[in-house]
Amino acid sequence: MENLSVILLFLFVLFTLLGSGVWVGLALMGVAWVGMELFTSRPVGDVMLTTIWSTSSSWTLTALPMFIWMGEILYRTRLSEDMFRGLSPWMAPLPGGLVHTNIVGCTVFAAVSGSSAATLTTVGKMSIPELRKRQYPERMVIGTLAGAATLGLMIPPSLTLIVYGVTINESITKLFFAGIVPGLVLAAMFMGYVAIYAKLSGNWAPASEPKLTFAEKVRNSRFLLPVICLILVVIGSMYLGFATATEAAAFGVIGALLLALGQGSLNWTTFTESLMGATRTSAMIALILAGAAFLSLSMGFTGLPRGLAELVAAWELTRFELLMVLLVFYIILGCFLDGISSVVLTMAVVEPMVRQAGIDLIWFGIFIVVVVEMAQITPPIGFNLFVLQGMTDHEMGFIARAAIPMFLIMVLMVFVLIAIPELATWLPNTLRPTTA
Amino acid sequence: MIALRKSLDALYTAAGVLAALSLIAILLLILVQMLARWTGEVFPGAPDYAGYAMAAASFLAFANALNRGSHIRVSIVLNALGPTARRWLDIWCFAIATAVMWYFVYYAQRFVFWSWKFGDVSQGQDKTPLWMPQGLMLLGAVILAIALTDNLLHLILKGENRIHRNLHDQASGE
Amino acid sequence: EKWDMPLAYSATNFHSENAAEFAQCVTSGTNGEIEITTHPSGSLFKGADIKRAVQTGQVPIGERLLSGHQNENPLFGFDSVPFLATSFDDSVALYEAAKPKLEEVLAEQNLTLLYAVPWPPQGLYFKDEVTSVEDMKGVKFRSYNSATARLAELTGMLPVTIEAAEISQAFATGVAESMVSSGATGYDRKVWESLNYFYEVDAWLPRNYVMVNSDAWNGLGDANKTVLTDCAATAEANGLQLSKDYTQFTMDGLAEGGMTVAPASDTLVGELKTIGETMTAEWLEAAGDDGQAIVDAFKN
Ligand code: NA
Ligand code: NA
Repeated sequence: MENLSVILLFLFVLFTLLGSGVWVGLALMGVAWVGMELFTSRPVGDVMLTTIWSTSSSWTLTALPMFIWMGEILYRTRLSEDMFRGLSPWMAPLPGGLVHTNIVGCTVFAAVSGSSAATLTTVGKMSIPELRKRQYPERMVIGTLAGAATLGLMIPPSLTLIVYGVTINESITKLFFAGIVPGLVLAAMFMGYVAIYAKLSGNWAPASEPKLTFAEKVRNSRFLLPVICLILVVIGSMYLGFATATEAAAFGVIGALLLALGQGSLNWTTFTESLMGATRTSAMIALILAGAAFLSLSMGFTGLPRGLAELVAAWELTRFELLMVLLVFYIILGCFLDGISSVVLTMAVVEPMVRQAGIDLIWFGIFIVVVVEMAQITPPIGFNLFVLQGMTDHEMGFIARAAIPMFLIMVLMVFVLIAIPELATWLPNTLRPTTA
Repeated sequence: MIALRKSLDALYTAAGVLAALSLIAILLLILVQMLARWTGEVFPGAPDYAGYAMAAASFLAFANALNRGSHIRVSIVLNALGPTARRWLDIWCFAIATAVMWYFVYYAQRFVFWSWKFGDVSQGQDKTPLWMPQGLMLLGAVILAIALTDNLLHLILKGENRIHRNLHDQASGE
Repeated sequence: EKWDMPLAYSATNFHSENAAEFAQCVTSGTNGEIEITTHPSGSLFKGADIKRAVQTGQVPIGERLLSGHQNENPLFGFDSVPFLATSFDDSVALYEAAKPKLEEVLAEQNLTLLYAVPWPPQGLYFKDEVTSVEDMKGVKFRSYNSATARLAELTGMLPVTIEAAEISQAFATGVAESMVSSGATGYDRKVWESLNYFYEVDAWLPRNYVMVNSDAWNGLGDANKTVLTDCAATAEANGLQLSKDYTQFTMDGLAEGGMTVAPASDTLVGELKTIGETMTAEWLEAAGDDGQAIVDAFKN
């Protein structure tokens, strides 16, 4: 069992460094270094530089800062207020009322933003005060927001899918298209839950909304125009063949800048703040990716991923059993790690297993995203919990409990995905050239 | 001492500004490449240049991101500790990180030196001598190593951690 | 001694399968004294990094498409000069002609050449029917290096840069409408979903080279060196046959997918030949006397 000692050593060093609070990217480099020094006779430092340079200067990676920058610009516009005004007249008559604006708002905003937290902050900034004013149950307001904001990761554009695509060298455009239908299905499941809860709950008595005529509703919808335009620009440019996924991100930045300019919220301060914020955030992810690239190389030299994949293959798990093992594994990992770290950290081992089991890697990307979405709302480390804590002054425990139904719905979503894989694979596979 | 403090902070800011300019460069490169394609022009090497700008944007921003608390770390144990124990654990973290980064810098300068010595050129249409963009990576790495050393010494000598967690930046990446 | 061998292409690619067999041959031939482990799919080093990794001893052995490095030395591109060697037999003759010079250049870089296997011949993929260079004007053509960009320029096509991972999508969405590549690429990427014509122009047959770090090589005993050379010779012969077989297999696959697989029209062949002469002349200008020596040796 040479493998076992290697695994134990890797895990011990990893947990010591990560757990004691060393920055994730640097901790990964440290683990990789230990692994290579002990198990190979290769020049570790030179290997580290070759692989980190090659990862850091990758062209596909450039979509990442662009989508982050776009989110930073939109965060500083009036987009969320406008979305609430446009959406609320349509949502009010549904069972569950304006709580649906949380979910639909997040779904719509997810289509322009690549991150879950950006979706959460932008939508929550507006909807929380409005919903509170109308006496909707607090737990429902917070829970749906925490859950639905994770759609930011699945509905394209998605930072998680970019990172996944870069890590396994799959087409990012394909992954983006794979996320659309499952994202909409998940949103529908959230909305279904809200409707059922509102019908069954005894104390559901929000303030009633003024009745609007159909014409007035339509007129209010004009506020949705800016965000719809942005969605069309980003997704449309990819679908019509004007741009690849990377280039669509640049469109998004320009679109967001124009939108901010149109609303008068673009000035030197907001511009530089958004730019510096985007620079720092993408640097944060780049450091993790650099560390992970080195770690996965180091593991490759030790032969560990192959050994583990062969071990799991020897268990002769069915595809379903393998997915269940991975589901539990990622839920546990997701309690402690952010989504991007847990994707990049595990792919070196998981990718060979998944390939060997004959699982479609595009489909698996969506599976990973659902699981990473759950990680956003599981304590103790869950970014949506942190962000909501900052926004609402609720305790973490309260927010986490409020989000439990959403967590369960996401678990259900995993089974839906397994039962109907076409949800993820149909759209990327049917994407045909257009006449344009 | 004050002059040193000021010049170090200026160094981190300057690197951050350079990183931000690299980000703008990525945007412009992608746009120009698309425009070129639509108008039937050719802009050879655009993806390669965007890749170099990506590396520069990342590495030059590392120190700035560190000082603003944007880099992710697992803080469960740190938060559970009392002030003294917490300080020791923070020193351990900075010491490890500083060591890793200076190790990286040592090999990065060799890496860039050999690229220069071999006359390594990009395999893409840009044919850029690689030591140039790699040099920017080295520069960023040196500045991060300095920033980590700076923070470590500050923590040991003054007993306070200058970095405070920046939730907004960390969360925007998720 | 454990030797890690990075490969850029997927485990099921015939180059990778051939390399795995070579690794097996060496491992058993040396009685485990040298145990070679292949790492396909760029899982250890990406294709572009493999040469430098071997050169600097980060790994002792590796496989690389050498023409990827022609910016560094034009000589590395001898096997990718369009329409110079346009059949498997020609490809072998050209390789034999270039070998002495190539080995010399590689030796200067601390590399020892073991064996080389050609890819299937490069053909032209189009969305619409093309019978002459005139039809190619304005077509968006996927270029991936200076030579393919130059080919686009000479035929009046618009070179667009598309990363390998985005090929299928680029064709599906019309970002690109044409490329030059082997039948294998089109078959692997299922391009018949978007493209309709494959012309067997056999433009060139680029090779993958398996190279050893010279320090590692010199450190071997004579017995082990012989084992490696013998295994390499076997791999070179097997690889050539695999490549030929695979060419037919992918042509059938493309046709089955619904593509028109055909030789180019006489007009087109003639025009491409002229372009080939231009590009050979340009390559010779860059590659100097060494290049001239290779071409002269090949033509005799
Ligand atoms: Na999104
Ligand atoms: Na979590």
